[in-house]
Amino acid sequence: MDTSVILDGLWTALQPVNLLWLLFGAALGTIVGILPGLGAATGVAVLIPLTFGMEPVSALILMAAIYYGALFGGSRSSILINTPGDGSSIAAAFDGYPMTKKGQAGQAMSIAAMASLIGGLIAIFGFIFLALPLAKFALNFGPAEFLLLFLFALSAVVTLSQGNVVKGFLTMFLGLGISTVGIDLQSGVHRFTFDVPHLTDGINFIIIIIGIYAIGEVLYNLINQSKQMDTGNKNIGSKWFTKDQWKRSLGPILRSGPIGFFLGVLPGSGGTIASLLAYSTEKQISKNKKEFGKGAVEGLVAPESANSASAVGSMIPMLTMGIPGSGTTAVMLGALVMIGVTPGPLLFENSPDMVWTLINSMFIGNLILVVINIMMVGMLVKVLKTPPNVLYPIVLILSFLGAYTLGYSTIDFYILIIAGIFGLLLRVLNYPVVPMILALIVGGDMEQNLQRATVIYGSPIEMLFASPITIILAILTILSLLFPLIAKLLKQKKGQSTI
Amino acid sequence: MRRLFLIAIGISLLVGCASQKGAVGETFPNKTIEIIAPASPGGGWDMAARSSQRALKADGTAGEDITVINKPGGGGEVGWQYLNQQDGHFAALNSSLLITGQLLGQSELTYEQFTPLAMLSTEWLAVATKADAGFENATELMDQLREDPKSLTIGVSPSLGSGNHLAFVQAAIESGIDPTELQFLVYSSGGDIMNALLGGHIDLTSNSMSDLSEQYEAGEVEILAITSPERLDSFPDIPTWQEQGVSVEFPHWRGIMGPPDMSETEIAQWDDMLSEMVETEEWKTDLDNNDLDAFYMNSNETVDFLKEQHEFFKDIVSESGLAP
Repeated sequence: MDTSVILDGLWTALQPVNLLWLLFGAALGTIVGILPGLGAATGVAVLIPLTFGMEPVSALILMAAIYYGALFGGSRSSILINTPGDGSSIAAAFDGYPMTKKGQAGQAMSIAAMASLIGGLIAIFGFIFLALPLAKFALNFGPAEFLLLFLFALSAVVTLSQGNVVKGFLTMFLGLGISTVGIDLQSGVHRFTFDVPHLTDGINFIIIIIGIYAIGEVLYNLINQSKQMDTGNKNIGSKWFTKDQWKRSLGPILRSGPIGFFLGVLPGSGGTIASLLAYSTEKQISKNKKEFGKGAVEGLVAPESANSASAVGSMIPMLTMGIPGSGTTAVMLGALVMIGVTPGPLLFENSPDMVWTLINSMFIGNLILVVINIMMVGMLVKVLKTPPNVLYPIVLILSFLGAYTLGYSTIDFYILIIAGIFGLLLRVLNYPVVPMILALIVGGDMEQNLQRATVIYGSPIEMLFASPITIILAILTILSLLFPLIAKLLKQKKGQSTI
Repeated sequence: MRRLFLIAIGISLLVGCASQKGAVGETFPNKTIEIIAPASPGGGWDMAARSSQRALKADGTAGEDITVINKPGGGGEVGWQYLNQQDGHFAALNSSLLITGQLLGQSELTYEQFTPLAMLSTEWLAVATKADAGFENATELMDQLREDPKSLTIGVSPSLGSGNHLAFVQAAIESGIDPTELQFLVYSSGGDIMNALLGGHIDLTSNSMSDLSEQYEAGEVEILAITSPERLDSFPDIPTWQEQGVSVEFPHWRGIMGPPDMSETEIAQWDDMLSEMVETEEWKTDLDNNDLDAFYMNSNETVDFLKEQHEFFKDIVSESGLAP
């Protein structure tokens, strides 16, 4: 590696105009991350006309900043009001919202921002040293490998639904069912579309997420109006996390960063799987297992570190191969082509300066974001002091706006409302919702890959033994399903031996 | 009596409209022009819409602001249904899906419902394998498929019945291969296809040049044939189907159309705007950046072209085994 190129990149990244775009992108990204439905992809798409007149490298800096900025911002609404606006911020609600209820909203937000920072930095170093070999390795993932990866993610998440794994399986199958709506790519058959053109592309999982969480939360509070409003503890606590919290977080953050980074590089898997797998890993190995779901700081920082790392990771296939691995990088790729930059294997050879400028700017951008996000903590916790009769209508309006921007169709409003009522039911009946949402997110891809793998391999046995990757993933899947059982058995044995 | 009354109303309305249209005609467009991209941001239609927006603005003939709206869904159908309800200030991008959607029984919309405004650009579709796959030329490839149609997996995107798919179907038919015997694997985007091809998960792909060019230049994939009538200036080493004895010419065009029942003046005005637009530097640069070829036709030529294309696709779709 040529150090002069790196320093040149740093110098270009530090040019005032580039710093300005970086700051603008980071701030805008944080905002679209906070608002439900307005993900990074929309944020980047809206700015495409603006990038026309820009230097290509500035455009790249701006778009990347929006992307990872949105992941910083995404956890805010999960932590504060239990309403994740996107798949990748669901896991932040598991322990982030309980922390808010315990009066630790400020601490939760500042430590989540630190986790995002460190996850991002880990991934940037990964990018520097591993970009090209990892992009090559990711190509080994074919239909059989993806099928098993999704199976593993599903099994790891289902086993999270402690105590009611059966209920977890039920909601998972429901999610898989909903994911079959739309045109089947392999056969061209329309399934459950009822002649509504909008449904041919399937049901957007983000609408279901917003419905179940945001609308469901509002409805839940509406029917519990007689009781104390559940907007969390009015005491917002300190803005800065404690030394003890930091000590507990460091391990999870450092472990989750690489997980997120690697899953980010794989096309199509993205931040949701990264953050959920990081969460389940930490839960399995943590000493404070019992505290998970009740406000364990480990359960908040692990997914945050992972999803921030996955954003950086997902830029690798886009830049090195010209293959976008997520919705946001697809939009970025389109915008880059429009301004005359063609990402691909030749980009690293022909314009290393551009790549190094981007890496340096991501580094600076992550530092800027942590400052922005910690500065905003004071402002955001005011949300908790907002009376429910003001806050919930705002949440509703934002949810409907977000749903509209996703498909520009009013049909999504009905889906949103149905999902909201359904979310309320699940909550009242105490059914876990995450297996359903993950199933909805990966279900479509999983099925398509199953169909492709069937054409290629013929039998399921051959699929399992297609490559070392499939074997490892199959073992991990089985382990994750059996782990709770094994842990229980071990505990019983221990109990017996002490008697 | 009642009928007379209705006729009277009809005539007065017609006259009213005509005079109004005359008045509007002088100032058309008199409000923001909206270009509908019937797809999400980032894809080919979206980029074509945004290129048009940029070039129309740069040219300035329109004299009004120009915006792009995304109406994704149903392979264009959602956007076109939306266009159906608008006035002449709206136009939507289209492609062969406008014709094949109805032929495949997936859509009620027909190309005849709308007002063709222009053809804008085209891509040519190519057949590619991994660089080390060992096929010298397309003839070898087709020979193997004739021998055993199931011996190779063929990746196409974004759907069965898309240009990418049907171009290979046509090549198969012309080579004496039954297209219904072939093993097509469908992926949702050209990027996914490239992933699968480079990873060795599919054997070949029929895809647009723009999705292939980067890896081709890097030496990662081999391109065996292209659907253009003559070799492309930008890729002079890629042989056409025709010079390899397979009678295939298959443009993957993008055009633009307006809602039903546009007035003569409106159409004429669009013709003015679009013919000026395709001459701008901005438009030409965008074509270059996206590996697209100029394919401009005015509204009259487009009417005839669409008719031809309809006949062409009717035959292929029925032989592909996909027709309902």
